[in-house]
Amino acid sequence: MSQPRTRAWSVAAGAVTLSVLLASCSSSGSTASGGAASGASAGGSAAAAGWSQECTGKSLSVIAEATANSQIIEKLLPDFKDKTGIDVTIEQAPYDSLVQKAVLDFTGNKGTYDVLSIPYEYLGSFAEKGYLAPIDDMVSTPPTGVGTDFSTADIIPGMWKLSSNWKDHWYGMPSNSAVMMMFFRKDLMENPDEQAAFKAKYGYDLAPAKTWAQYKDIAEFFTRPAGATLAGQTLSEPFYGVTLAGKRHVATVLEWMNYAWGQGGDLFSKDGQPALNSPENITALDYEKALTPFAPPGYTSATWDDTTAALQQGTAAESITWGDTAGAMEDTEASKVVGKMGYTSIPTLAEGTAPQAHLGSWTWSVNKASQNQNCGRLFMAWALSQPVQKELATGGGLPSLTSTFNDPELISSLPYWKQELVSLNESRPRPRIPQWSGISDLVSLELSRVLSGQASAKDALDEGQAKFQELMQGALPVTYQ
Amino acid sequence: MSLSAAEQVTPAPPSGGRKGGSRAVKARSQRQIGRWERVGFQGPSLLVLVLIVLFPLIYSVSLSLQSYSLVLPGRTGQWVGLENFQRILHDSDFFHAVGVTVIFVVCAVTLETILGTVVGVMLDRLARFRRAITSLLLLPMITTPLIVGLMFNFAFNAQFGYLTWVMARIGLDPNGGVLNQGPTALAALILVDVWEWFPFIALMVIAGLRALPTSPFEAASIDGASTFQTYRYIMLPMLKPVLVVAVLFRATEAIREFDKVYILTGGGPGSATTVNDLYQYRISFLNWDLSYGAALGLVTFAFVLTLCGVLYRVLTRNEAQL
Repeated sequence: MSQPRTRAWSVAAGAVTLSVLLASCSSSGSTASGGAASGASAGGSAAAAGWSQECTGKSLSVIAEATANSQIIEKLLPDFKDKTGIDVTIEQAPYDSLVQKAVLDFTGNKGTYDVLSIPYEYLGSFAEKGYLAPIDDMVSTPPTGVGTDFSTADIIPGMWKLSSNWKDHWYGMPSNSAVMMMFFRKDLMENPDEQAAFKAKYGYDLAPAKTWAQYKDIAEFFTRPAGATLAGQTLSEPFYGVTLAGKRHVATVLEWMNYAWGQGGDLFSKDGQPALNSPENITALDYEKALTPFAPPGYTSATWDDTTAALQQGTAAESITWGDTAGAMEDTEASKVVGKMGYTSIPTLAEGTAPQAHLGSWTWSVNKASQNQNCGRLFMAWALSQPVQKELATGGGLPSLTSTFNDPELISSLPYWKQELVSLNESRPRPRIPQWSGISDLVSLELSRVLSGQASAKDALDEGQAKFQELMQGALPVTYQ
Repeated sequence: MSLSAAEQVTPAPPSGGRKGGSRAVKARSQRQIGRWERVGFQGPSLLVLVLIVLFPLIYSVSLSLQSYSLVLPGRTGQWVGLENFQRILHDSDFFHAVGVTVIFVVCAVTLETILGTVVGVMLDRLARFRRAITSLLLLPMITTPLIVGLMFNFAFNAQFGYLTWVMARIGLDPNGGVLNQGPTALAALILVDVWEWFPFIALMVIAGLRALPTSPFEAASIDGASTFQTYRYIMLPMLKPVLVVAVLFRATEAIREFDKVYILTGGGPGSATTVNDLYQYRISFLNWDLSYGAALGLVTFAFVLTLCGVLYRVLTRNEAQL
């Protein structure tokens, strides 16, 4: 998955985190001063931290998606050089561009990038094509040469397996994992006037939606034109119930999969056959289409960037969106809804059933063609070390360590923190098979057609199913995804 | 090299046995030098052409006969003959993309030609500020297409775009944004292209008019031709060669439209604005089906080549009819 990205707040947050980290380094006994780490001073600090010096003087080229996580990591690179003596250049690119650069580098067998952060939907493809260097030995036995602040036991097991394990081999460690959840305007839900009006209209209490039916009722209830009243204030601009990503883009597919799972649907049937036009999937798409009157205009050209912006600007009441944008909601410089947003699990079909949230995960992986594989492993371990992961959390990114999610300081300071772990535990992945890019492309086309009113859900998914079957020819049934 | 060769030959005396033999040797050596000159001067450009045109073309042909995907494990370049081309015949998405491209090219280039010619003629008649306005006309053209896309993305934003606001004020309520409905999205793309490229035609027209002789116009004036008649029967036919080249340029450019569509609509909503290049991009670089992408590319290449030939013939036929 990929999240919205390049924001001023994360740069600012990165600057703050850098200073915090440097402070923490010096407090942990490092003798290094400033960024000009000579071999001797690097060795000194490394001895304290336990990091191997075998790569001192070498340089690594890393590519990662342009997200808060990557920006924070880039700011922290002097700390990595301080500990290991390795110079790192990190290139940040948007999702599509990153995948293209990675594939071209892999197929050219050039090893331009030593370490790549790759989306897990490409794991199966890259692993089977032999592009990635396995790190099974790092997982089976505690790795040596890494700092004491890194432990493989601390990485959230489920997330690690989904992001980095393919057919019993390990190919990396989670770099940027996010899960979808429900954001809602807490302040509006708690408003007594709105509560009374809602109860009068729908016959039950206004509260964060637990079912899809409630989610739609709330969307309808809060959609109001300019000039209407919302929580006692007269609206100068229209207000909307929900946000929707409806562009012909992977963001649309990922959001819809929550609705589909919520109705009991999926892309593949239990016996591994394409099931795009299953009754459950059609119902889910009809349901999403029924939400469109309550979404801001322009939803058919919206991706996660636009939905995040709409929520930040306070123009929508609730949303099924990515948990790693919660930091943007609480950013005092860019958001109009600081302290007003609530975070909870994805609704279900019937109250009391287990929520299912879409997981997006990226993994740091070492290029098989790299000349610096051991140094690349050091980088991965450093990126997963506790101080770095905590900086990700405080800077608005998302970590991958159990200890960071259980950090009492973070739980008390970040309103969304507890929900992130809850949703991660409710999460399920998209297919990680090599055909994913084709599946995503064809499903996004059909969803876009339906949401823009060009076709009915049934017709579009029937057509999509035919293309889906053609795409999967020779690879059925899908028994491992 | 050529200078030294000329210096060796020019001073040779006109007659004399031994000297005649010497002349023959010199002439032969001149021919040899001339040959090497040609190789020396043309070789590098031929080499570059081979590298950047011929090699990719041959590689594309070879790729289109294979089954090669960068992400699917089983497809490593097996020879499949004409399978990819047969697949094109049943690919309704491809034909849809070709249809969208044809609409885009015909509408955009026609509008650009009409508007560009009118503006060009008007500017040519302008006594003052012609140079300043001509320079300003260059602005849309020299803006990177990607930036043009981003600019109009803001302008057409369904909630905050200023063009959306303007359209709502003049009663053209786009109802959810022009980019969010198939027909209006395609119309918007065509208009953006016209905005960007009509100045090109206008500039060509201005340059063409500057190069025209004045005597036919004077003769027409003496014969009492009206302004319209002068334009219709004197100027347009004389300007035709310039317009043909300009239209050809624009048509071949518009056929490979990508940037603005990619930024503004991504080919959507649905596939309403999926032009041919964007479709091929999706096949090659989102689905990573390079072999099928190569086959589509070759078909497009053949199509464009044919179209150029036909267009050139049509536009240059019966000049007097214009």
